[in-house]
Amino acid sequence: MKSLRRFFARLFNLATRTSQDARLREEIEEHIAMQTAENIRAGLSPAEARRQAFLKFGAVESMKEAHRAERGLPSIESFIQDFRYAFRSLQRTPGLTFFVILTLAIGIGMVSGTFSMADALIFRLYPVPHPSGIVSLVGTTQDSSFEDFSYREYLDLRDKTKSYDGVIANAQMEAVGFSAKPGDTSRVKGGMLVSGNYLQVLGVQPALGRSFRADEDQVPGRNAVVILGPEFWRHEFGGDPSVLGRTILLNGVDFTVIGVAPEKFQGMQIFSHPDFYMPLAMARVFATNRQKNFFEDRDDRELTLRARLKPGVTLQQAQNELTVLARNFEHDYPNLNRNRGAAVHTQFEMRTRNDDQNWKFMVIFLTLALAVLLVACTNVAGLLLSRARARTHEVALRLALGAGRTRLIRLLLSESLILAFAGGLAGAAIGYGFIEWFHTFQTVIFMTDLPNAIPFQMDTRVLTATLALSLLSAIACGLVPALQSSHTDVVSGLKSSEVDLPGRKRLWGRNVLVIAQVSGSLMLLTASFLMYRGFKHDLLEGTSFTKDHLLMVGFDPRLVQYDAAKTQQFYKLLSERMRETPGVQSEALTQNIPMGQDGQDDFDGLAFVPEGIQMPRNRESFTSTMDTIDEGYFTTFNIPILQGRDFLSSDTADSPRVAIVNEFFAKHYWPNQNAIGKRFRLDSSVGTPVQIVGITQSVKYAGSSEKAMDFIYLPLSQHPIPRMILMLHSEGDPLQLVQPLKDVMRTLDPNLPMLRTMAYSDFYENTAIKGPGIAIKLVAAMGAAGLFLAIAGLYGVIAYNVSRRTREIGIRMALGACASDVLRLVMGKGLLLVSIGTAIGLVMGFAVERAMNSMLFNVGGVDLVAYLVVVPSLLIVTMLAAYIPARKASQIAPTQALRYE
Amino acid sequence: MNKKTDVLQGTLALMVLKTLDVLGSLHGYGIARRIEQISGDVLAVNQGTLYPVLLKLEQEGAIASEWGASENNRRARFYKLTREGRKQLQLETQGWEQTAAIISRFFEAKAEKLS
Repeated sequence: MKSLRRFFARLFNLATRTSQDARLREEIEEHIAMQTAENIRAGLSPAEARRQAFLKFGAVESMKEAHRAERGLPSIESFIQDFRYAFRSLQRTPGLTFFVILTLAIGIGMVSGTFSMADALIFRLYPVPHPSGIVSLVGTTQDSSFEDFSYREYLDLRDKTKSYDGVIANAQMEAVGFSAKPGDTSRVKGGMLVSGNYLQVLGVQPALGRSFRADEDQVPGRNAVVILGPEFWRHEFGGDPSVLGRTILLNGVDFTVIGVAPEKFQGMQIFSHPDFYMPLAMARVFATNRQKNFFEDRDDRELTLRARLKPGVTLQQAQNELTVLARNFEHDYPNLNRNRGAAVHTQFEMRTRNDDQNWKFMVIFLTLALAVLLVACTNVAGLLLSRARARTHEVALRLALGAGRTRLIRLLLSESLILAFAGGLAGAAIGYGFIEWFHTFQTVIFMTDLPNAIPFQMDTRVLTATLALSLLSAIACGLVPALQSSHTDVVSGLKSSEVDLPGRKRLWGRNVLVIAQVSGSLMLLTASFLMYRGFKHDLLEGTSFTKDHLLMVGFDPRLVQYDAAKTQQFYKLLSERMRETPGVQSEALTQNIPMGQDGQDDFDGLAFVPEGIQMPRNRESFTSTMDTIDEGYFTTFNIPILQGRDFLSSDTADSPRVAIVNEFFAKHYWPNQNAIGKRFRLDSSVGTPVQIVGITQSVKYAGSSEKAMDFIYLPLSQHPIPRMILMLHSEGDPLQLVQPLKDVMRTLDPNLPMLRTMAYSDFYENTAIKGPGIAIKLVAAMGAAGLFLAIAGLYGVIAYNVSRRTREIGIRMALGACASDVLRLVMGKGLLLVSIGTAIGLVMGFAVERAMNSMLFNVGGVDLVAYLVVVPSLLIVTMLAAYIPARKASQIAPTQALRYE
Repeated sequence: MNKKTDVLQGTLALMVLKTLDVLGSLHGYGIARRIEQISGDVLAVNQGTLYPVLLKLEQEGAIASEWGASENNRRARFYKLTREGRKQLQLETQGWEQTAAIISRFFEAKAEKLS
């Protein structure tokens, strides 16, 4: 308490700069006067009396100092002094200061920009209270470690687990037909089916109205209630509170609005925010899989499960419990659950799962950004080192005058702190620009009708991280130079302004910096070049199918409550009418668009058992990706059928089931035989038999960077799917077919919305070329930044070395060395450094290449072209950086050089 | 500064408080005189060290100061004890007495008594 008060008094004095010197002087004078008077009374002469008074008072100056120190806070005061001095000395070299700040800004900006992405994709917690207690429950099979659960399994898990304060389930409904009142045309919105306890367990209180009641999620189809998402509420209802109790139509069914979710809860997904939440019991309205009964079939697995861990329960305990339950499932339902396990994962584990590319990109970007920062830091350290050397004289003078080493280090460190702070601010600005730049790609990344948001933003988390980073880099850049110059030898330092101490230790440090820069930027360049080549390479293979003159339009008859029969009838009529339309060369229906790649159009998996092949003992079935298409597909996309036949109109629901597989599939399962005529059974060894009638060329299916995979096509007539995409091959501009299509639709059903109507070439351009293009640009920007920094650093260091050796060069030339000797002398050093840096950079480049290939691309082996381009160009550029100062040195007249200083 | 002066600073502060407690409002010289009279040579050489101590006590709030007129009608800074200072004096006196008692008991203790 006492000392606190004293501290504040001192702080107050410091802040107000209250000058109490005058008061002290007066007090001292008064004191001396009184003592003198006393002494005179005691019989001394006035002069002697005054002298004695002074003697008795003691050392005035040291007392004054103690008084001053007591008054203010000396440590802070000297800190302010340091900073003021540092400011002044930085102002004296504005060019260097500017360059250092720019360098740091580039490095820090790169990292803060990428960190904002990493934060959004990996680190940001769920927007709910106590988010760390929320875990995900997933099913595991031999092919996948992140499987969903079925409704029945959910009920069992919910009721039988004891580790959690509630288990919740949800299923995303990507396309729900919404109309605010009857008669309105329905529009496509994204909803979320949730268990009744969803919001309670997450700890989310509705901003308006109430959560679901427990009894509203018990009887299938009974309680048609809905809770609106905050954004949806604002956009569709203008934030009107009277929306509570109103009826809206979802897929043509009346739902009563009972609540609105709070603004800060936008859902549990990173990218998409649900427009509304419906209870699971209403699943039938949104059913995706008509063949299965959502409420009964234990293998209709569509639910994402999460749970809130009870306080004190460890993840391991929860896992053990779940393992036992999964084993019980296996025992109770051997047909449906064989080899099916379950696992508990934290949010972080879910976001860094190995089948997710987002975070792999993140890891690569962050590593590269950190490499840029590292190059920037070594650059700045080199510059500060040079600067410190140029100041040897000043430092020696300070030491001679009695400055302590710590004080000296503090002074030099405060300079780098100022630099880093300015660099950090500028870096935050660059990072902000970076994020804004990224936001301009929003439309490129999400080619959908649904609202999606790029969640990257410059928030306090990112800013804090940025500033912490700049602080760290200040210490990293500034400590070594500061430590070194505090070791300055006072005597020799005072004698000349530039001293070369015996020994090569100091030069060694600088050389390491150059090597680090060269190798770092080589690695960055290699990475960006590889990325570019990798994407190019991926795009070339397996994408030869038709892309031009194609119009794509999505349909989802569920939006207007078609049943299965009516849906099939609709598609049949649609194909027939469009085929007859003038300007249409061919027509195709497909469940998924090739190279959809945006996660909205994930291909379904198909479990099957090939006949005549011995199943491995621990497996029940294999799985393959699949697509449902009609008989026009291969013609329209011009994908050749290598063997066998196409689907025919004679393949109907009543004829034997057929399938077409890709070449990879055929070679995979029947390596030495003809796969045509072979059969497999759906789901299990007792499932429906399907005969392979054709083999097509293997192409890329979901995205350009996918690995070759098994693929099965099933005919729409035998495998009805409600949501399909119509592809029309036009003679001219595909968009000219939009009007004829609309005319046809008017005759078929004017209420059925046309989704995602666009030219396929535009879609392909965006998802397959521009999307990866962003990544290439990003990495290229980092590579360019790294190269720029490395050149600047190399030039600086060599130019500095030359300027220090001017006298030596003069002597050499006076003794008969010619210009080329000098050139060789100076260049030799630079070349040596560059080659060592290149060697190390090559090793790092190989490592990066391996990592990238294993994570992103299909290319195996070493991409020689990349190195053949990158290494020589780096060598040339760095040699130029060494050549210019070397040439300058060789042109010095000896007389002038000897007179130097 | 060495350890001896640290001790001195501590005791000096206590002496200042006690002096002001006994004599009421007093200027720097008066305090110095008073301490000198009672303690002998603690301040004989370094009267000046008193002033930083006065400032410290003032910033801690134990004493307050104001300008006033000295005996010979000159402007002088007068210090007086605050309520808080009085409390502090009480506490420190107790503490000091305890310490002194313990130390003196130690010094008085004879070897045969301990056995």
